[in-house]
Amino acid sequence: MRRTARTAVLTAAASAALFTAACGSEAERVEPTTAPSSPADSADGAESGSFTPGDYEATGSYQTPGGTQSVDVDLTLEADGTITDLDVDGNAEGGNSEQFQGKFESGIDAEVVGKKITELDVSKVSGSSLTSGGFNDAIAQITDDARA
Amino acid sequence: MHTWAFDAIGTRWRVDAAADIDRAAVSALVDDFDRTWSRFREDSQAARLRSDGRADLGEHAPAILDLYDRLYALTEGAVSPAVGASLERLGYDADYTLTASGEAIPAFRWPEASRDGSTVETGQPVVLDIGAVGKGYLADLVADLIGAPVTVDASGDIVHRGPGPLRVAMEHPADPSRAVGIIELPPGHGVAASATNRRAWGEDLHHVLDARTGRPESGIVATWAVAPSAALADGLATALFFAAPERVVEEFPGVGCAVIDRSQRIRAAGLPGEIFR
Repeated sequence: MRRTARTAVLTAAASAALFTAACGSEAERVEPTTAPSSPADSADGAESGSFTPGDYEATGSYQTPGGTQSVDVDLTLEADGTITDLDVDGNAEGGNSEQFQGKFESGIDAEVVGKKITELDVSKVSGSSLTSGGFNDAIAQITDDARA
Repeated sequence: MHTWAFDAIGTRWRVDAAADIDRAAVSALVDDFDRTWSRFREDSQAARLRSDGRADLGEHAPAILDLYDRLYALTEGAVSPAVGASLERLGYDADYTLTASGEAIPAFRWPEASRDGSTVETGQPVVLDIGAVGKGYLADLVADLIGAPVTVDASGDIVHRGPGPLRVAMEHPADPSRAVGIIELPPGHGVAASATNRRAWGEDLHHVLDARTGRPESGIVATWAVAPSAALADGLATALFFAAPERVVEEFPGVGCAVIDRSQRIRAAGLPGEIFR
């Protein structure tokens, strides 16, 4: 099962989690489409809050009783940390996670109101601990990697 | 800003701190906690309760077990640290067999255990499982060790000790790309969430069991709690499967919580933030 969110505007700059020193990163920068817009700022990364703009993708993993699952995050990052385009794919392949994602999708929107996380100015996600870990992990990998 | 991501007690952790993070000290703390409490390790202190009916559970035992006593009372026995055997019976065991090995079994009646300081005696084999509290408690310990300002994120159980509130999306239980609300986590607080959809492995089988029956019986599918400690938030996130938000807030003034039930109604009480309507 794949579900895709394709919308805009997560302000990364507000997040303490995003002001990071580099750590082991599996984020991959793909097809940079724009040049850094503020090269003067990029020298002192953490204090200026500047990022290397471009398209990034990363996979965050989380553990379930049925094995390791993953969340794929693709995003476009501006130099000021604003995410302007973002896809989130939950990859539950086989096993119970897929079965249960499908099961819970039916009818769950009837009364709760869901908004795209990518439209919200948030620093963290809390929910099913497994998925949240994957999302936070993937976003963190990308922003670590994007620190100029 | 210093950041460290690591895996511990079966989940992903991420720490953001202003000061240098003493990774060796954090690792030692986590290892010690795991060695004491893990249900999945044969060499843990908790395992002695299974083999000997008696165990010394170390310096954190009084705080953890006192909290469990309050959760037990709040939920009239549904939340209990003795639920481990029931979890194993349904397949949530060290090998993740995920196959029920028989009828559900009620947990040992925890009030019958005797405690003396850090030592617990049950007089019979009991499989301890502090899954309702342990991760949050350990997140608090890690935050204590590192010192403020710090944010410790144990995959959605978060301790926040920073200058301003931390905005945390409440993940939609059926769609990880959506949120049902935003929690404004105040400095000096923790948030925890629990949902039955992902740590599930069969028809109506998941990790939140009613200790009174040993079965995963609850009309709730997702919970959130905000409290002055992540340990309390973690515990309440489980208790909310069995106690209404209004009741929880009455019993624990100053906490906030929200639940989504099977009919997809979301209810909240005292939650800092916004539920989307």
